[in-house]
Amino acid sequence: MNRLSLLLLLICTSVLVAAQPPKRKPANGKQTVGNFLDQQWWIGLKGGLNLSQADPQKRFSAFSPTNYDFAELDKQYDDFNATGSQATLEITYYYKGFSFSFQPTYRHSRYTYNNSFNWYNPEQVDERLELTFDQTQRVTYADLPLLVKYDLLHNKIRPYVQVGVFYSILTGADRSINVSGTDYASGGVNSFTNEPLVVGTKDLFQSYWGLAGGVGVDYNLGNVRLVLDATYWRGMSNLTRSDSRYANDQLAGIGDVPDDLRLHNIIISAGVLFPTRFLSSSFKSLDR
Amino acid sequence: MRLLIFVLATSLFASCGENETPLTEQEKFTRIYDNTKFNIAFQPIDVRQTPDGGYLILASRTLTESNFSGIYLMKVDAFGSFVSELEVDPTFVNPIGPLMEQNGTYFFFCMTAIGLQAQLMPVTPAGTLETPIAVNGVAYPAAAAADGNGFILLSYDNVNKESVVSVLNAGGSVTRSQGFSIGAGDAVEEPIINHFLRTGRIFPFQVGRIPGGSYYFNGFYNYTFSLVFTNLSGPDPQGVLQGQQDDGGINSITLLTGNRFALSRFNFGANFFLPGQNIATSGIASSSDLGGYPLPELVAQAPVKILRTFSGTTERVIYGSHTRSRQILLYSYDPAGAAFLRSKYLGFANPFEFANLTETREGGLAVVGTTYVAGRFPRICLFKIPSGEFTELIR
Repeated sequence: MNRLSLLLLLICTSVLVAAQPPKRKPANGKQTVGNFLDQQWWIGLKGGLNLSQADPQKRFSAFSPTNYDFAELDKQYDDFNATGSQATLEITYYYKGFSFSFQPTYRHSRYTYNNSFNWYNPEQVDERLELTFDQTQRVTYADLPLLVKYDLLHNKIRPYVQVGVFYSILTGADRSINVSGTDYASGGVNSFTNEPLVVGTKDLFQSYWGLAGGVGVDYNLGNVRLVLDATYWRGMSNLTRSDSRYANDQLAGIGDVPDDLRLHNIIISAGVLFPTRFLSSSFKSLDR
Repeated sequence: MRLLIFVLATSLFASCGENETPLTEQEKFTRIYDNTKFNIAFQPIDVRQTPDGGYLILASRTLTESNFSGIYLMKVDAFGSFVSELEVDPTFVNPIGPLMEQNGTYFFFCMTAIGLQAQLMPVTPAGTLETPIAVNGVAYPAAAAADGNGFILLSYDNVNKESVVSVLNAGGSVTRSQGFSIGAGDAVEEPIINHFLRTGRIFPFQVGRIPGGSYYFNGFYNYTFSLVFTNLSGPDPQGVLQGQQDDGGINSITLLTGNRFALSRFNFGANFFLPGQNIATSGIASSSDLGGYPLPELVAQAPVKILRTFSGTTERVIYGSHTRSRQILLYSYDPAGAAFLRSKYLGFANPFEFANLTETREGGLAVVGTTYVAGRFPRICLFKIPSGEFTELIR
């Protein structure tokens, strides 16, 4: 927590430092307007959807097979197939084509995977059971991204590219497990689906950091700016707490423990930004 | 300046994410040893940590060619990952714990499937079996314990209808032996044979010795499942703690000091823990008079193992068993005041049953049991509890 406080302090400091206008000599009218156009503060709200990819770095299972390969226990992850959502407060300082943006975000992401198991009697083909565990992991994070944008054009429509870093603070996690299978040993083909099991999994995960890069476009509408961006967030540290990998008996009891993995996201957001520096008391900003 | 701040912030971000401590994978784990065979069943008996940090697990397995249980040995590494297994030749059956270490070799007892003769089975720390040693004149081994460099063996003599306590040297030769009548009539013998065939109740047979003093066994004597003390000098015991025929008695006993024991008893399906109990080793008494803490959450006639340990220099005992909801349960007590300390439950979702526990050299605890994978396939499971949690359990 101390590290987090230090981090927040540093981010705030960097934004405030960046916000200080360079000291200039007094100038006359046209030059003053030009200087005013060089910089601007924007603040606004964004929201949108995200898709997740769980990228396993090292595989784990509570099962240790005695007559088949461990690789058969590998979880089959589905990439970018479950949508999540996020809401963002954007604070951006613009200076001569570059923008320094702090975008605290509350994000809800999901990824899915499945495990399949098979038990059989090679001498009695009817003695067979197949089970599939379909698992949906939900995680919620308070993200602290720090991004640098560069405007490619300086017109009313302003496409831009952005790169940066983020730190994501875990706020919650749970797992939904659907067990289905087919039992061939009970006198027929008995296909079944059990009631979903929902398990709290916050103890299994931790905060992480990553790098971000993406594209977007601003559209100046009246005195406000509409923004649409798509960013790829690449997790660079382990999402899983190794010290509590086996802490959840409900999951370990069915053989499931989390892999070491990194979480990557495609985040698509749209929103509106408002300028905070105005040319006159009529709230006109020059950046129109 | 801004660039410097950005670099600083990036560096700080990089330092925030990971909190990797690689040792934890070795210190704490849950392992379920799965096998795809539909019709195979394993029931663990004991676990011991080997010098390489791994574990050796002794288990019984179902046999299609015999009514008795077969023998199964498994070696796992320090992370609990499966290394090797040995399905022992089915001419050897009825494995009896515990795994007893003597000079770097682990021993357990079993018997031959045809002659029913007891065998002393040496096992290397790698889990390979060495040449079995026949224990002449002893059949139906039921319980065993290490005694110095030798062994004590409780067995059943189905000819003379006696519970027999034998003292064996390190080479497996019987140096002393004494039989104790179970009583006349087939009705007394029937539950014993059913125990060996696994067609009836599994009785908590046990044998041991008060250091330098009396031997004791928990088994059938005079029509009753009893705790019997003897100096092996004759067929009449020194002392008997009688049960209620085969409906009551002691289901686990661990010597503390002198005549003080930590024990558990069963009585018509109920279970009671007695963490610090003085027991007279002479005379006749009844186990049902001992009282004890009732444990209604345990299954009827619960299998119980008691581990004596220390928190610093203070004596502690840990009871292991399993609940009616099929979780493995660990209770810790201070035997000085018979005071309850803490409990811990292991396993969820699938049913779990307790088999045995042992301390690890890392200061933790290893607990072995059975879980029913997919709710139906009996498989061995191993829990490694790290030293911090173990310390907390007995604090």
